Amino acid sequence: MNYFLKDINNERLITWDFLIDDITNSSIYSPYCKSADYYTVFKHIILSLLLDEEIILLDSDFTESELINLTGHSDYTSFIKPVGKSKVPILDNKHELIEKLSKCPDKWKITLFTSGTTGIPKKVSHDFKSITRFVKVSERNKNSIWGFAYNPTHMAGIQVFFQALLNGNSIIRLFGLDTQGIYAEIKNNGITHISATPTFYRLLLPCLETFPSVERITSGGEKFNEKTFKQLKSIFPNAKITNVYASTEAGTLFASQNDIFSIRPEFENLIRIENNELLIHRSLMGSTDAEIDEWYHTGDVIDMVTKDPLKFRFVNRKSEMINVGGYKVNPTEVEEALLALPGIKNVRIYPKSNSILGNIICCEVVRSSNQITESSIRAFLQSRIQEYKIPRVIRFVEELSTTRTGKLKRN
Amino acid sequence: MQENILKIINIVLENRSKKRLESITNEMNLRNDIGFDSLDLAELTVRIEAEYDIDIFEDGIVNTVGEILEKLESL
Repeated sequence: MNYFLKDINNERLITWDFLIDDITNSSIYSPYCKSADYYTVFKHIILSLLLDEEIILLDSDFTESELINLTGHSDYTSFIKPVGKSKVPILDNKHELIEKLSKCPDKWKITLFTSGTTGIPKKVSHDFKSITRFVKVSERNKNSIWGFAYNPTHMAGIQVFFQALLNGNSIIRLFGLDTQGIYAEIKNNGITHISATPTFYRLLLPCLETFPSVERITSGGEKFNEKTFKQLKSIFPNAKITNVYASTEAGTLFASQNDIFSIRPEFENLIRIENNELLIHRSLMGSTDAEIDEWYHTGDVIDMVTKDPLKFRFVNRKSEMINVGGYKVNPTEVEEALLALPGIKNVRIYPKSNSILGNIICCEVVRSSNQITESSIRAFLQSRIQEYKIPRVIRFVEELSTTRTGKLKRN
Repeated sequence: MQENILKIINIVLENRSKKRLESITNEMNLRNDIGFDSLDLAELTVRIEAEYDIDIFEDGIVNTVGEILEKLESL
């Protein structure tokens, strides 16, 4: 298959030759990239690598106020600059492109945003070496066909993109398709690898068909229960099912065949356990604006299986982040957005477990005006935060049962 | 019961500024016909659970309106 990308949602069928032509003919570049079109995002990343310039990825559904909070701007037209003809190399075929890209551009960095712990999302940058730390280029991987099931501006999506790109694989978009559409794409394109959130896999079940082409299923975040695991095994009889631990700050760190993780020898001295919390050494982290200590506290609580060699299970998170279908939501960020609406006196955001998404966001609201309704709250939030952060269940109360942190909130 | 499910479906639709439905049929697919995404489906389960005390997605995904009604009628 000689496609670079197939995205039936956006009616894109892009061959490697088309991509190379398109890149060679690019005449403008902006470090900011905000697009719902996967091809536009991918092309932009490749162009940034060839130009050895920074790229800043913005979720296509960021609201104007989120953009201003994050970048200080909401309009990026003034950042567009012409690209000198001499700066983009002439490329003949995909092998030349991949060879050029693999030459570790030294000034290049990729910046993305993750739910910070303080209220607003924080900026994390990675250089080429750290973003491709887990990319495996090999003869065997050259024939892989990737089912792409992530948002292309998030860490997990970027890692799949680089794995596919540097091996010259085809990427087939699965994210955002309905179940039948996903099955059809897996079958018609002979997809061999899928990496996705547990929610994505749960929405595929149950299914009576089997898809023998799939060799590898990767999932991150919460682990599958026994039943889901068995169902996936029967749909994808030839697939090895792997669980990974990854974060925007550090990328992929561990992988495991079941729920017990071990550490690769080269990371042995870069991982520590303190009070059952997983700590990661600074050298494994992307760079952020915030000062970080030598050891980064992940907030992930583990249960040690053996000490030497170190083997462990993830138990839960110490932090308050709520995992909604693989997206981390910071409750403080949502509370702050809500409190900006006049007529709201106090709020508390809390998670409720859910069979589809893992968790959904709920909130209690103390209002001082009857003008505040469920729909007025939603309309307000839709202009300020991304859809998955908006509470799905809103309860009006006289007073909060307790604030999330257990402290009395003063307004 | 069908009427109540229609009411719940419409709450979820309106919450996302999507168009209300006048009626539903058993064959309607929640995602393809009604246009629910995973966030909507999650909200639907919570709203149904609040009224009927059953998690309709507990044993795997439910695809059609008829399958929801079947689950609720078996209570």
